[in-house]
Amino acid sequence: MQQKKMAAPCGRMASRPLLQFLSRFSRSPVGNTGFRQFSSATVCRAAFQINEAAERANSPWTLMAAVCLQRLPVISADCSPIEQQFKQMLHQIELEKSVLSDHELRLLEDAERMSRKQADDYDSDEEDSHGDQEIMMAQDLEDIWEQKMKSFQPAPRVRADVDKDLTSAERCLADSLVLLAEQEVGDEKLWLLPQTRWQEGETLRQTAERALTSLPAAGFKATFLGNAPCGVYKYKLPKAIRTENSIGTKVFFFKAILADGAPPKTKTAPFLWVKKSELQKYLKPAYMMKVERFILDL
Amino acid sequence: MNPVFRKVQASVAQQALLLNKALTPCRAAPSIRHPVWCTHSVNERQYKGMPTHGIGRWKYLLPKQAPRKKKDKQQMKQIVSATDTAYGTLNVNVSGYDMTVVEHYSQYIHNFCNRLGIKVADSYALPTKSTEVMLMQEQGTKTYVDAVLKTHHRVIQLSTLNAALCPVFMDVLLKNQPEGVQLSVTEHTEADFQARFKARPELEGLIAQMNQ
Repeated sequence: MQQKKMAAPCGRMASRPLLQFLSRFSRSPVGNTGFRQFSSATVCRAAFQINEAAERANSPWTLMAAVCLQRLPVISADCSPIEQQFKQMLHQIELEKSVLSDHELRLLEDAERMSRKQADDYDSDEEDSHGDQEIMMAQDLEDIWEQKMKSFQPAPRVRADVDKDLTSAERCLADSLVLLAEQEVGDEKLWLLPQTRWQEGETLRQTAERALTSLPAAGFKATFLGNAPCGVYKYKLPKAIRTENSIGTKVFFFKAILADGAPPKTKTAPFLWVKKSELQKYLKPAYMMKVERFILDL
Repeated sequence: MNPVFRKVQASVAQQALLLNKALTPCRAAPSIRHPVWCTHSVNERQYKGMPTHGIGRWKYLLPKQAPRKKKDKQQMKQIVSATDTAYGTLNVNVSGYDMTVVEHYSQYIHNFCNRLGIKVADSYALPTKSTEVMLMQEQGTKTYVDAVLKTHHRVIQLSTLNAALCPVFMDVLLKNQPEGVQLSVTEHTEADFQARFKARPELEGLIAQMNQ
């Protein structure tokens, strides 16, 4: 497969070939509390061909790639009153439409057999041989299961103290969180999605992966959702600094999902995990306008 | 009113005159241009059988139907191969223990694809697998059956998926994944298709005998 890059002017998104991928996502409550099991394998990563340098030298825009790392919600969100009523109704419909399960049939049979035993004209020879079932009746099984259920302690769904800690990746388990890093742009420190400059000879997706791995003191394992960027932010430098060769920067955003494994928490690391509603407090308005378009708040 | 009528009559008369003038030259022409009309006489027939021959024919007006074979062997739909900007045939596999949740989730994915304009090639269910959970008894080494868990599978086959649409699609699917449901997206292969059918040992035995 050949890969062709179009560097500038990047009015339209650069087109990239497809990497066929295999990915398996599972959501299981057992195991890591905060994260989903996530495994992916890339099949046939092809070598690429570098485009002519002449085409790129004319572009006055610097290219950067940023990664929008998301932690998916771990538990389902609480339902609103209408949703709860509807859920109740659906549950009732499903129950009434369903057929009796094996266990329930057994319960009925046992009850019937008990009533037959109690009758005066009971002849045990007429009964079919159900030797095993006489020892363990279905009702007893139910009682045992009830006991086990009572001794089971589920973890609390919402923990108020963890929710307030913005640096923890385990806050707000019902929402999806986005990673923000404090990086230096020009002379000032800004909160933005982790980004880094594009270098010659690599695809934009690889730049985004590099942006993620080059973050200080964080071992984030992420799976990128695709080769195509999901958003673009154009930034023109103020007129004073503008020159022939650099009018501004264009930042391409790539989506990624945080894979399994809680990253090591360090107090000094300048990271924040924020919900979409909290993004406004940290991002600049123009940047925010472009970024909020592709962050889904489902 | 009268002047109007007179004018109308006058114009009609003028038109009639014009028509007559136009017709007279034409009337002479047929005899020159179509000599055939003159050669046949009234007694010779130009049609087959009766004049009403074939008057009741209607089956030729029906749309053409392909001849139906007795039993169609399940043919596999063509597997679309991946191009530079789109994935080929993909299988979205949803599995879990709770059947209602799994089915509702697969219906959600199907509706979502319809809404986004992603073509859904096929949507089927794989057979349910039963897993027996056996626990060791407290006293003794024998294990006893504690529970039977049934794993349900639903597969949605997409014919193509645009590469630019893929991250959005995957993001929405992942964010709406319910608890206890496994989601997996793989490429569709011939082996996947053949796995749906039961093996027929007698047929395979006969084929092996024939090949020997």
